[in-house]
Amino acid sequence: MRVRLTGGRVLDPTTGENGVATGATRTVEIHDGRLVTPTDLPAEEYDLGGDIVLAGGIDLHSHIAGGKMNLARLLMQEDRRAYPELPGAFCGCGGGRASPSAHATGCRYSELGYTTVFEPAMVGANARGAHLEMADIPNLDTGAYLVLGNDDYLLRLMAAGAQQEQINAYVGWMIEATQAFAIKIVNPGGINAFKFNARRMNLDEGNPHYGVTPRTVLQTLIRAVTELGLPHPIHLHGCNLGIPGNDETTLATILAAEGRRLHLTHLQFHSYGTEGDRRFSSSAARIAEMVNAHPNISVDVGQVMFGQTITASADYMSQYRNRAFASPKKSIGMDIELDAACGVVPFEYRDRNFVNALQWAIGLELFLLVEDPWRIFLTTDHPNGGPFTTYPHLMRLLMDRDFRNAQLATLHKAARSHTILESITREYTLEEMAILTRAAPARILGLTDKGHLAPGGVGDVVVHTEDSDREKMFSRARYVFKNGRLVVKDGEIVETVAGTTHVARPEFDRGIEKDMERWFDEAVGLKAKHFRIADGELRGGAGPTILTCEGTSL
Amino acid sequence: MTEIESAPHIVRDVVCGFCGLGCDDLTIETDGSAVRARDTVCPEAARLFLRRADAREPQCSQYGEVTSEADAVAAARAILAAARAPLFAGLGVDIDGGRAVLELAARFGGVLDHAASEGLFRNYAAVQRTGWLATTLAEVRNRCDVLLVVGEDPTASFGRLFERLLPASPLFAGSRKVIFLGEAPGEKARAQLGGAETVHLPADDLVAALEAIVGLARGRTLPGGTVGGVAAADLAAAAAALTGAAYAVVTWNGATLADGALIAERATALVDALNLTTRAGVFPLGGRDNIIGVNQLLLWRLGYPLRTAIRGQVSEHDPALFSTEAALKDADVLVWVSAFRPEPPPDFAGKVIAFAHPETRFARPPEVFIPVGTPGIDHAGTVYRMDSIVSLPLGALRVATLPSVAEAVRLVAGDAP
Repeated sequence: MRVRLTGGRVLDPTTGENGVATGATRTVEIHDGRLVTPTDLPAEEYDLGGDIVLAGGIDLHSHIAGGKMNLARLLMQEDRRAYPELPGAFCGCGGGRASPSAHATGCRYSELGYTTVFEPAMVGANARGAHLEMADIPNLDTGAYLVLGNDDYLLRLMAAGAQQEQINAYVGWMIEATQAFAIKIVNPGGINAFKFNARRMNLDEGNPHYGVTPRTVLQTLIRAVTELGLPHPIHLHGCNLGIPGNDETTLATILAAEGRRLHLTHLQFHSYGTEGDRRFSSSAARIAEMVNAHPNISVDVGQVMFGQTITASADYMSQYRNRAFASPKKSIGMDIELDAACGVVPFEYRDRNFVNALQWAIGLELFLLVEDPWRIFLTTDHPNGGPFTTYPHLMRLLMDRDFRNAQLATLHKAARSHTILESITREYTLEEMAILTRAAPARILGLTDKGHLAPGGVGDVVVHTEDSDREKMFSRARYVFKNGRLVVKDGEIVETVAGTTHVARPEFDRGIEKDMERWFDEAVGLKAKHFRIADGELRGGAGPTILTCEGTSL
Repeated sequence: MTEIESAPHIVRDVVCGFCGLGCDDLTIETDGSAVRARDTVCPEAARLFLRRADAREPQCSQYGEVTSEADAVAAARAILAAARAPLFAGLGVDIDGGRAVLELAARFGGVLDHAASEGLFRNYAAVQRTGWLATTLAEVRNRCDVLLVVGEDPTASFGRLFERLLPASPLFAGSRKVIFLGEAPGEKARAQLGGAETVHLPADDLVAALEAIVGLARGRTLPGGTVGGVAAADLAAAAAALTGAAYAVVTWNGATLADGALIAERATALVDALNLTTRAGVFPLGGRDNIIGVNQLLLWRLGYPLRTAIRGQVSEHDPALFSTEAALKDADVLVWVSAFRPEPPPDFAGKVIAFAHPETRFARPPEVFIPVGTPGIDHAGTVYRMDSIVSLPLGALRVATLPSVAEAVRLVAGDAP
């Protein structure tokens, strides 16, 4: 099938094309799911009349699948009841806002112009379930980051002084077995330490059982993904999430990367100082300065958005602490399979609450003070900082200073005096927003055929009608094409299609297999071969989209 | 039967999907269509894996009369098309079968519930009110030094539970102590417990005794005498063992406890209290016939667990109103799905469409019976373990002559109006 979009202003930061600035329009054509050089062959034609054409949006950090999301759904039936199914046969399957069903996730993302979303915390023991769930999310390509760094197998190896090669083999085996795309570290070693009853873990504190420190876990796994040639760097949820004074940990963590690539996720939750009479302050400026000075570092924000949500994280150590703030008052925690854990805590961010208001401001400060739009990504850590459906509102906050300051004026008064937000004049341009939400995520994920509109790319194309109200503009895509098929028209779902799942396939020393078998037999109580997920188990038998990796010797 | 006479085929490391414990080390012998478990399996697996060579070829039927598959499928479709309030119950299916049933229910409307959901919802009464702090099999295996078992000896329902939970050489637990509150451990349990120290507290009121342990763990003292039939001193010793544990675990089987909801609530409170100073988790038992998997599927597809009704593309959850027992009173059609075992549908005056195990013995012949293959014997599939985290790939052990639930249900869904 051939689709031709004429008269659109193409905004494609990857190639440097900016029809918004020049006013130039051109034809974009998709044939059999791929972008092609325009032809005059018969095609389904759309006259865009000067609307803006973008590559499909890519969210590199959003909790959309896996056991913790099902625990969130179970715990937050209120959310589900408050957001019932939208009318129409295409979306008549589930609902919810903070913890939406698989269909609601796919449809709502699709309406906003997103076509690819990565689940950032897949626990190995739960990987099969996460993949089953992702297969049921329509209109989105997906992928998942495997949580490592708290697994007893790894810590045991490290405590025994294993060679890096052996660790690389283990990481490679786990990525392949769980059909993962990248490695995520959540509170390095801390979740494991909590199983031994430690309640906090600093960067250089030893694990109560293994003696291994978060710093060594981080450095060892950074080396592993570098040497395995994984496209995405270590995706790190650092130590001491949410604790005032964790700014020092974050700064030390950036230095601990020692110049190697490292992605710091939901940085907002890790940018808290202890200044002021309330012992809670913004360290966004200090941290942004450090990020600006270290080109090896990329970040996503995890912006807090006001309202009811639910937080779901593998960081049970932190979430156990956060139980005290649960709203409504209930929460679930779980130690998982010598692998990781999870904590699910409902949360309401209130604009009249000092801490919540300042969290909001800290997130925006980070967005506005980190200079390079290719190294910062638009996230709310869905649903932890707020549901992804708030993205259009967030985009307007970043693109419209008057709107931002008007919002700021309504917040908790003391919080306002603790933030420099009002003085920041920066407004994101449309081109920068396209970088944040498409071009840059594709680049940092190594997805060379996504995030741009050059021939050969995947036919994920989004059309927005320009509106000076950027929230309105980004709330409803005029058209969304997934692999060249029209799935959204005038902000509404017109079709649901199956996506694919991206996985990375590094080469590794298969000599590790025997040891993995013994570990699973003796410790886990499950056969390694049953832990391992076959290609045919993904996407209803369609299998994954495989990115092969080339090792480097950095 | 010897190996030489019949030249059977031996399949090792077979996954068992029946009770929810998720054993995946079975050895199964197959010979043509005959299947039988060998060596160390629990009685339930031995019974449910068994397929005799001389078993009759099961066929579709209507009102007990053999019909073609096409006729049975057409009849099922006609019944559903005319149905006012269908109930999709049993739901003993693998994930793919569950998807097919869910889509059928979405199309025709109806209530969805599993045959084993009573125990699950007793636990959910606690979970949905307060949440809980839980753990999984591999954590118990390696960390648990004090295990509190509430109620009956669970070995009757989960034949290899203690062998799986408490192997002899854990990575971390320095010792093993198992406290049985309620029934004493049977011979089989004792054999599996090996070197673990066991204590039996024969409570006559489980809730009261457990409540007393919660209080003790919170630092209260008991006045003496007995609580729930257990001497106060014994309860205090149990509480001391739990608070002194490095990693305490509380387990119970909600399905066999009439007071399951209260037990779940007290167990949750106990684990909450223990976690203030040490580490602990609940380990609720259950998970028969992939109830956990189907429940997970509903959660991600609909946003609701089992006991949910779909009407006009909108779903609604009510753990009381949409239980099988309650829904049967309002239903006019029962779609009975039970692929793992020959479990007959409940008494029902309306029309019955059964996608069921070929050996199912019906109290009265159903309007439509489509025999289906068993996941893990006749076809591959995925099932969840009781902890809701781990899921397992079932394989096929023989050439299937029967459709899977997914295939049969999709035939019925086929070109429905």
